Amino acid sequence: MTTTIQLPTRSSGGDELQRIVNVAKLHITARFALLVLPWLILAIIFVANLAIWMLIRTAAGDEAMSEAGEGMQFSGASSFIFVYMMVVAVQAVNATFPFALGFGVTRRDFYLGSSLVFVGLSAYFAAGLTFLNWVERSTNGWGLGGRMFDVVYFSTENLLTQFLQFFLVFLFFFFVGAATGSVYVRWKSFGMIVFFAALGFALIGAAAVITLTESWGAVGEWFVSNGPLGVALWLLVPTVLSALAGFQLLRRATPRN
Amino acid sequence: MEEGRPIFVQLAEQIENDILSGALPEETQVPSTNEFAAFHRINPATAGKGVNLLVDAGILYKKRGIGMFVATGSRDRIVRQRRERFEIDYVQPLLVEATKLGLTHDEVAALIRTTTMEGSTS
Amino acid sequence: MSPVVQVSGLSKHFGSVRAVEDASFSLEQNKITGLLGRNGAGKSTLMNLLTGQEFATRGDIKVFGASPVENASVLRNICFIKESQRYPEDFYVKHVFKSAPWFFENWDAEFAEQLIDEFRLPTARRIKKLSRGQLSAVGIIVGLASRAPLTFFDEPYLGLDAVARQLFYDRLLEDYSEHPRTVVLSTHLIDEVSMLLEHVLLIDDGRIVIDEDAETLRNTATTVVGTRSAVEAFVAGREILHRDGIGGLASVTIGGLDDSERAAASAAGLELTPVSLQQLIIRKTGTTTREFEQSA
Repeated sequence: MTTTIQLPTRSSGGDELQRIVNVAKLHITARFALLVLPWLILAIIFVANLAIWMLIRTAAGDEAMSEAGEGMQFSGASSFIFVYMMVVAVQAVNATFPFALGFGVTRRDFYLGSSLVFVGLSAYFAAGLTFLNWVERSTNGWGLGGRMFDVVYFSTENLLTQFLQFFLVFLFFFFVGAATGSVYVRWKSFGMIVFFAALGFALIGAAAVITLTESWGAVGEWFVSNGPLGVALWLLVPTVLSALAGFQLLRRATPRN
Repeated sequence: MEEGRPIFVQLAEQIENDILSGALPEETQVPSTNEFAAFHRINPATAGKGVNLLVDAGILYKKRGIGMFVATGSRDRIVRQRRERFEIDYVQPLLVEATKLGLTHDEVAALIRTTTMEGSTS
Repeated sequence: MSPVVQVSGLSKHFGSVRAVEDASFSLEQNKITGLLGRNGAGKSTLMNLLTGQEFATRGDIKVFGASPVENASVLRNICFIKESQRYPEDFYVKHVFKSAPWFFENWDAEFAEQLIDEFRLPTARRIKKLSRGQLSAVGIIVGLASRAPLTFFDEPYLGLDAVARQLFYDRLLEDYSEHPRTVVLSTHLIDEVSMLLEHVLLIDDGRIVIDEDAETLRNTATTVVGTRSAVEAFVAGREILHRDGIGGLASVTIGGLDDSERAAASAAGLELTPVSLQQLIIRKTGTTTREFEQSA
């Protein structure tokens, strides 16, 4: 009884890809909440905004509307969708990960499959937002001069650039969400406390350093000189770091309750 | 099936009882191991062990690809074996209990003669 | 038969807690093994280790000849049904059965359908809205219909009534008969499942204390009841598993007896009562029946 049963190892490259794709499929099995619901919420916000724009227009005229339109850019009406996707990524790691492991998935395949989905979803939502952004511009703010699908700093005339910017911002939120979820899976609420405390200290520290060295001007300059696309590309640095950190964390994680 | 005694021994005894009672006549097919397992809600390997016990004893025999059959003469063999055990299994405990109650062997014998089997007419 | 799982010197410590301590055993192919033990004895940790979900502190695990940790060619043959399984957010029951075939190549959709009917599982309901018993049924159906060569059930029946539990046992036996595979069933309802088991692993306080064929185990203990003096005379020199008594009566559990010993016992006016697997395990783990049954 010293021999152990060996199963045929069929670990070809195509096989591995199939496993990763299967994890990706698992993530989008419950389609509605992932692919449809965000647009519905956006639609409700949009309808509410339309009503407000109409009120402003009737009450105060076109001039007031164009001023209000500028203000709208800062309202971040559409930015909830980014936060929504971060929550999606947190849940993917927190809830889908233990489920996938029960189905015999490796952590590596899970992470690669999840990443595939994050990239795909980023493209999907970036495409949608770019389209709405284009319609908004083409119709002069839905005929009312309203601006909802334009994020103040990141607005651009070039559709491809616009898409790329949205895409990179989505990627950032997905992978930061995945890394955060991994911290939670590894160390639960204690990990969260330490994580957010550390993040808070880091941000306050950075702000303090910038203030003390009187470098806020330089920071502003950096944003101007890099331009929206440049900044979005720089966002890849924290995105990639989060992705790598998330992978390292999850590789040693055990789902617990 | 009761707990506390090997299940496969109990299964073998039950099959023997069925052969004794005529429920499983000689040269008829007995249920498969899996059928025994499902019926008694026991592990198929355990059921297999019980059946094999009877195969080894020559009570049952295998027909390749068909199944398990009751061997000719197996009823007589079971009767013979059970008779050999009758004293240990039934008479001795009976006498132990009788002694506790102060009944002599003669009194027990008399009781046996006058007692009619439940449900029988003699 | 060859082993599917081989474990040697396996330990898992959480800080100062020794959840699994120096465990060595193997699981043979196509057997149903009962992993028994009290709550917190280390059953779940052991299964987490065998399925590569937990990382060992020490020792060696071979599943299908290799370490299960991050090993896709091993893990693809494993299905692990946990008592407290988490499901993806927003999952409906139907999503579980839609996605399962992507991960289990032996998945039998027809069988799954049959079980969904039999367990009366509402497939159009959100997982979060299911009752405890319905949630258990989801796990049981996945575990059975996946037909994974190595299937783990960790206390899979919480919240299921007696009828549904019997249904699980019946379907497990039937399907196992037709499609033999290696099954590990962790449970504290020993009386209910003992007849399904071919092999028994008993874990107590992180250590494997019994690793034995279930049928052999059934023969390993007898309780001798009678007057104190007669019982004591009979059990003198034997290993005593448990001792109980009231007034002049004694009840002592000892190892198995052969025919002549049984005859001697009855000649001495002693009564012999069989010891069930559950009683035996309670004796071995030094608990009372009530404690054991409550350790769910």
